[in-house]
Amino acid sequence: MKRLEGFQRGKAITVDFEGESISAHEGEPVACSLLASGEFVFSRSIKYHRPRGPFCMEGSCSHCLLRVDGVPNVFTCQTPARAGMRLDRQNAYPSVKVDIFESIDWLFPRGLDHHEMFAGVPVAEHVMAKVARHLAGLGLLPEKEAPARMPAETLRVSIAIAGGGVAGSAAAKVLAERGASFALLEREDVLGGKLRSGAVPKDAEKPLSSADLPKGSVRINTTAVGLYDDEHGRYFAAVSHGPEGLRLLKVYAEQFLVCIGGHPRLPPFENNDLPGVLAGPAASALIRRHGILPGENVAVVGQGESLKLLAELLKASGAQLAAVVDLSGADPGPNAFPGTVSGRELKARGRSQVAGLAFTRKDGEKMKVRCDLVAVALPPSPSFELARQGGAKVVFRPELGAFAVEADESGRTAAKDIFVAGGVTGGLDVRASAESGRRAAQALLGGGR
Amino acid sequence: MSKQLVCPCEDVTVDDVNAAISKGYCDMESVKRYTGFGTGICQGKSCLSSVANLLAQSGKVKDGGVLPFTPRPPLQPTELSLFASAPVDESRPPVGGVPVSLHFTHHALRSDAPVPSRAKVVIIGGGVMGLALAHNLGMRGERDVVVLEKGYLCAGASGRNGGGVRMQWGTSANIELAKRSIDLMKQFARDMGINIWLRQGGYLFLAKNKAIADRLEKGAALHNRHGVPTQILTPDAARDVVPELTMKGVQLAAYNKEDGVIFPWPFLWGYAQSCQKVGIKVETFTNVLGFEISQGQVRKVKTDRGDIACDQVVLAAGAWSPEVARLAEVKLPNEPHRHEILSTEPLKPFLGPLVSVLDSGLYFSQSMRGEIVGGMGDPKEPAALNMGSTLRFVSRFANALLEQLPVVGHIKVLRQWAGCYDVTPDNNPILGRTPGLANLLQMSGFVGHGFMMAPAVAERMAAWMTSGNDDELFTRFNLDRFARGQLEREDMIIG
Repeated sequence: MKRLEGFQRGKAITVDFEGESISAHEGEPVACSLLASGEFVFSRSIKYHRPRGPFCMEGSCSHCLLRVDGVPNVFTCQTPARAGMRLDRQNAYPSVKVDIFESIDWLFPRGLDHHEMFAGVPVAEHVMAKVARHLAGLGLLPEKEAPARMPAETLRVSIAIAGGGVAGSAAAKVLAERGASFALLEREDVLGGKLRSGAVPKDAEKPLSSADLPKGSVRINTTAVGLYDDEHGRYFAAVSHGPEGLRLLKVYAEQFLVCIGGHPRLPPFENNDLPGVLAGPAASALIRRHGILPGENVAVVGQGESLKLLAELLKASGAQLAAVVDLSGADPGPNAFPGTVSGRELKARGRSQVAGLAFTRKDGEKMKVRCDLVAVALPPSPSFELARQGGAKVVFRPELGAFAVEADESGRTAAKDIFVAGGVTGGLDVRASAESGRRAAQALLGGGR
Repeated sequence: MSKQLVCPCEDVTVDDVNAAISKGYCDMESVKRYTGFGTGICQGKSCLSSVANLLAQSGKVKDGGVLPFTPRPPLQPTELSLFASAPVDESRPPVGGVPVSLHFTHHALRSDAPVPSRAKVVIIGGGVMGLALAHNLGMRGERDVVVLEKGYLCAGASGRNGGGVRMQWGTSANIELAKRSIDLMKQFARDMGINIWLRQGGYLFLAKNKAIADRLEKGAALHNRHGVPTQILTPDAARDVVPELTMKGVQLAAYNKEDGVIFPWPFLWGYAQSCQKVGIKVETFTNVLGFEISQGQVRKVKTDRGDIACDQVVLAAGAWSPEVARLAEVKLPNEPHRHEILSTEPLKPFLGPLVSVLDSGLYFSQSMRGEIVGGMGDPKEPAALNMGSTLRFVSRFANALLEQLPVVGHIKVLRQWAGCYDVTPDNNPILGRTPGLANLLQMSGFVGHGFMMAPAVAERMAAWMTSGNDDELFTRFNLDRFARGQLEREDMIIG
C-alpha cells in the first residue's frame, strides 16, 4: 500500500513495532501507518493461527488487533498514531511471520471439532485439555492498571441520535432548524460518514460539520455502546475518547434515533480471511480519509452500485483493476463498470497475503488473476443491536441477505420511542439515507405519517 | 489452507456451521452456541449475516425462522475501568434491563408436527436437570419419556451460568451430591462423546467480615470430614494461588483445589444426544399450557403442539417452575431472581481458580477459552422472571472486581447477559412427590447451583423413580418440609 501524494497529514512521527521504528503520521489510525509501511500480517488467528491483517477498518472485526503500549487486543484501526507508541503482535510463536502453530491449520484442513475431538479417550483428553488451555486466549494481561477514569457524565435531551453519518447528520440538521433539544453521538472525529469516507456518486451532497449544528449538540469521538434503561428512564451509554482520556457518557432522552449504519460483510469464500482481503468501505476510507492507496493491482468483488462506485474510486486513485467481479449472479448491465464480469466461487490466493484471486465466470470458465488486494464491495449488514435492545423488531431480508430493523418510511419501529434511519434499515444509498434521516427527524418532531 | 471462514474471530468455518445445522441445531442461538460463532471480539458483526444465509439456504428452517441471536451490550468492547465509573444508587433496587422482550419461544421455530400423544414420563424443562434425568431414565431402560423445553437447549439458567463446580458446601447433603457430580463430570466425555472441558483449578473463597470468615472455617472442617481437601489460607497464602489479587479487606480464604469450572453448554447437548439415541424425545420450542387432572393425578400435559397422556410428570423448569406449577394449582415457594453475568475478551491463561468474595457475592474465573467470566448478586434484586441486562450490574461488578484484581482495568467486556436463580426459602431444592398430586414429581429450586448438582441428583432421582426403593433425598427435600417446618439452611450461596 502506498501513500497518495498531495494529501494533508499530521506531523511525521515514528512508532515502535516490535522493536522496529515505523514512520507514521500523528493522528492517523496506526493500522494505516503499518499498512503504508508494507506490514500486512498483524496477528495470527485464535484457533488455526492463520495470518490476519486489517479487514473492516472500523472496529467491527478482529483482524487488526495488536498489543498497544502494554494493553492487549487493541483495535489499531481505531487507535490514532502517537509518537513512540509501542505495538506488539499477539498469538504467534516465535513470530507472526513464522508461527509454528500454523501447522494446526495444515494438519486439520477440514477443521477441528472441539466438541468431539479426543472426547473420552484416556490420557489424550487430558493432554488435549492442557494444550487447549495454553493455546486459547488472545493477548497477555495488561502491563499496568488502568488510570482512574473521570466520573461518568450524564446528559438529558429530548432526542438522542446515535451515529452522525449520512442519515444521522441529515436528521440533526432538521432538528436544529426546528430548535429541538438533541444530542448527536458520532464515533469518528467528523460528521458525514460515507460522504467523507465512502465510494459515493460525484453529485452526493456535501457532508455537514459539527460547526453547522448548535454548539454542544454534537459529541464527536463518542461511540454508543448500549441502549439501557434504569429508574430514570432510557439512555444511551456511550464511550467518549477525549484529550483527557476515556469517559463514560449516559444520554437520557425521550426519543432515540439509531443511525449507526451497518457492519462491513465478509462473505464466505476460500481464504476470505487472508491479509489483503479488504472490506469495500475500508478501501474507500483508506483512500479518502487517510490518503493511502490500499492496492496497486486490485480485484474488486461485490454487487450493485457499491461495486461500481468502488471500482471507479480505485481507478481514479491510480490503482490498476485486475478484475471486477459481480457476485449477484446477474449479467452486468449497461451501467456496470466497464469490464465487469459475473462470477462465483471465489478463492483468494497467496500464502501470507493476497497474491491473486481465482473465480469461476458465469459461463463456467475458471479464471485466475494476479492482484495485491481483493476489495469486497457488498451492502453492509445493518447494525440493529441498539434498536433491538430498545424493543424494535428485527427481520431477515433475503434480498439483502442480512437482518435489518423493521420500520415504516418515517423510521418508526415496534418500540414507540425508537426510530431508525439510514443503513440500519438496510440497503440504502447515500441519497436515500439522507432522505430517511430527514423523514425520521420530522416524525420525531411529531410530523404525520 | 483453503478454509472458508464465517467467523474469523473464533475461526468458525462454513463447514462448521453446516455441520451444526445438519445435527439439528437450526436456530441462530443454537448455531451460535454449538459453533462458537459470534462469541469473539466482534460479537457477530461480520458473521451474523453469513450464518443467516446458510440457515436460509439449509431448507431446515420455516418461513420467518431465520432470527438473529440476542444482541448483548456492549456494542463495542468496553474497558472494565470505564464501566466502573458509572454511578450506582445502591439504596434502590435495580430497574429495567435490556433487551426488551426476549422471544426465545418464537412460533416460527416451533415444529409443526404434534408431540407424542402418550408417554410414561413427561419431563417439563429441557435444562440440565430435565435432560440429565431423561438420560438416566434411558440408561435404566425407561425410554418412554418426553422432555418439553420452551426454548432452545441452553435458553434457561443451564445455558447462562458461569460453569463453576465445587464441593465447598455448608451441608453434608450438598457436599456429597457435589462430590458425586464432579466424579460423573470427569467421565462425562467418555459416556457421552462430547467434551465439557472440566478444569479443576479450584475455588478460592474470600471472606471480609468475621461472620463469613467463621462460616468458611466451619465449612472447611466439615469438608475435611467428607474427604474434601479444603484449606483455610491467610491472605498472603491466597496470593500464592493468585498473585494478582490485592486481598483488600480480606480476613481469610478457603481453597479447595479439586473444585473447578466446566463449559456448561455441552452438558445439555450431550444429555440430549444420549436421549435421542435411545428414542427419548426432546421437544424444543414447545410450551406447556396446562394439565388435565383427576382424582389426585395428572392425566395429561397440554402443550401448544397437542396433549400428552402420561403416568408421571416431572417439573424441572428451574425459575419457571412456580409458573408451571400454578397451572396444576400447586403453589411452590420458589422465587425467580435475576443474576447478571458478563464475559471479557479472551486472555492467555493467568487465573487458576474461580475466586469469590462471599460477602458481596462477587465471583470470577477464567474460562477454557481465556475469557474472564464473572457476576455478582444484587441484594436489592426484586423477584421476577427478568433476564435483561443493566449498566448497574456491570458497574457494580467492575468496581468489586477491580478492588481485588486491578490488573484487569484495561480488559474489555465483550458481552453481558442474565439468567434467573430459582430461589427457595432455605436455599435447598424441592424434590420428590407433590402433596396431593402424587404423580407430579418436583425437581426444582436449586438456587443457582443446579447445574453442578444435576448429574448426581438426576442419577438418584432416576433410580428412585424406576426402582421403587425409598431414598431419603426425596423426603428430606420434599415440598412438605415447609409445612412441617423442618428446614436445614444452605448458607454457602454466592450472591
